[in-house]
Amino acid sequence: MLKKTTLLFTLLIFISFSARAQMERERVVQEGPVEETFWAPGLIGMSTVEVIGHKNINATIMHSFGLINDEPLHNFLGMDFGASVRLGIDYGITDNWSLGVGRSSPQKQYDFRTKYALFRQTTTDNVPLSITLKGDMGIDTNKNGYSFGDRLNFFASANVARKFNDQLSLQVSPMISHFNTVFTGEEKTHFALGLAGEYHISDRYALMAEYLPVLGERSEGTANAFSVGLNIETGGHVFQLFLKTSDWHTEQHIIAQNDDKFWDGDIRFGFNVNRIFWTGEKQ
Amino acid sequence: MRRLIPIVAVVLYLFPLHVEAQSYKTETGHAEFESEVPLHTFTGISDHLVGLIDLSDSTVDFYIDMNTFDTGINKRDKDMRRTLETDKYPFAEFFGKLVSNFDTTTNQPQQVTVRGEFTIHGVTQDLELTGTLQKTADGLKVKASWTLNIEEYDIEPPGILFYRVDENQDIQIEATLTPIESDTDA
Repeated sequence: MLKKTTLLFTLLIFISFSARAQMERERVVQEGPVEETFWAPGLIGMSTVEVIGHKNINATIMHSFGLINDEPLHNFLGMDFGASVRLGIDYGITDNWSLGVGRSSPQKQYDFRTKYALFRQTTTDNVPLSITLKGDMGIDTNKNGYSFGDRLNFFASANVARKFNDQLSLQVSPMISHFNTVFTGEEKTHFALGLAGEYHISDRYALMAEYLPVLGERSEGTANAFSVGLNIETGGHVFQLFLKTSDWHTEQHIIAQNDDKFWDGDIRFGFNVNRIFWTGEKQ
Repeated sequence: MRRLIPIVAVVLYLFPLHVEAQSYKTETGHAEFESEVPLHTFTGISDHLVGLIDLSDSTVDFYIDMNTFDTGINKRDKDMRRTLETDKYPFAEFFGKLVSNFDTTTNQPQQVTVRGEFTIHGVTQDLELTGTLQKTADGLKVKASWTLNIEEYDIEPPGILFYRVDENQDIQIEATLTPIESDTDA
């Protein structure tokens, strides 16, 4: 009996020396901001809570064409009217703060904008919402004899969003626009409550919609802007194809200077292209 | 005396590490890959390489959580994780043996060969690598590099519309493994 016991333990010792098992594989726990509440820093015309990473540049090309319902066949669904275009770049100063500049064809407008992430929803849900502040100042550069101050317009919003799961993200954005100069009888300041959503139908495609109802006083004829579209995520680019009302790409104009009504058929086709570049050291 | 034998055997079995020397481990090794896409290259880096080398039985065991790789652009990281299906296959790992001699009496870097199995994306292939191993004051310093053909591991190079990632990825690892504490007791 003793010999057997000795043999058994000797065998066990031998095994423990001769065959080291693989280490147990353990995942690295990374608590951090939820990634990609939205696929791009902007949806159709609205900014999202998405911020641009440190030293990243997001280049954006935004287009919208003429009204589809204006002799659709003759005007090729509004394409013949030409495009309203905004070209822009935004740069990530930090992971939470970006600065941007853009140029829109309507009113030959330049705009300068900034976005700052106050809170970012975390993977552990310790922070359940993402909140960003966004500001934009536009300058009308038409040859119209206006003073510099009269050419200015402003926008500010607080974007509050939650990514509910891998498919659905929703955003609410109280916002204000102000124009230093308006036509007689128009309101200089408009308040609105932007509502936006993105629903991922696959890794590459997502549906999106945004609605910007004006709250309180509004200039006569101003209509609430509505847009719906499709995101296509290619890894390098995010393409956004959509149907929208306003031909503007800056939010102060979308909420204050839109008189087209989506449900009356005042719809335009448009598309945005977003491309992110890394400008840090080679990585 | 004969009664003591099983007792000694039990003690030795329960506390084998105290007599098992020459094991080294790290959880902060550096790993990087370089990918080529048309017009430019980019690098993904991680400092979460976990590695164990046991010189007593020549075991070499390394793994890394693929979600820890950072390419500098969040969107690109996400695309990489999607391509590698990291939710399903979170680790890249190598498990094998040191098959060449390693002289522990010198502090010079020595070329060594390991042979074993490399697994990524749930696919395992035999792999033989040559790298350098160096005994240092801190422990063991290891460096290795090789080219990984991702198609051999059923990884489809992502490519849609404008670009396609090259199927050959240059991999480099560098780590200093420190003696496992209990080994130093021996």
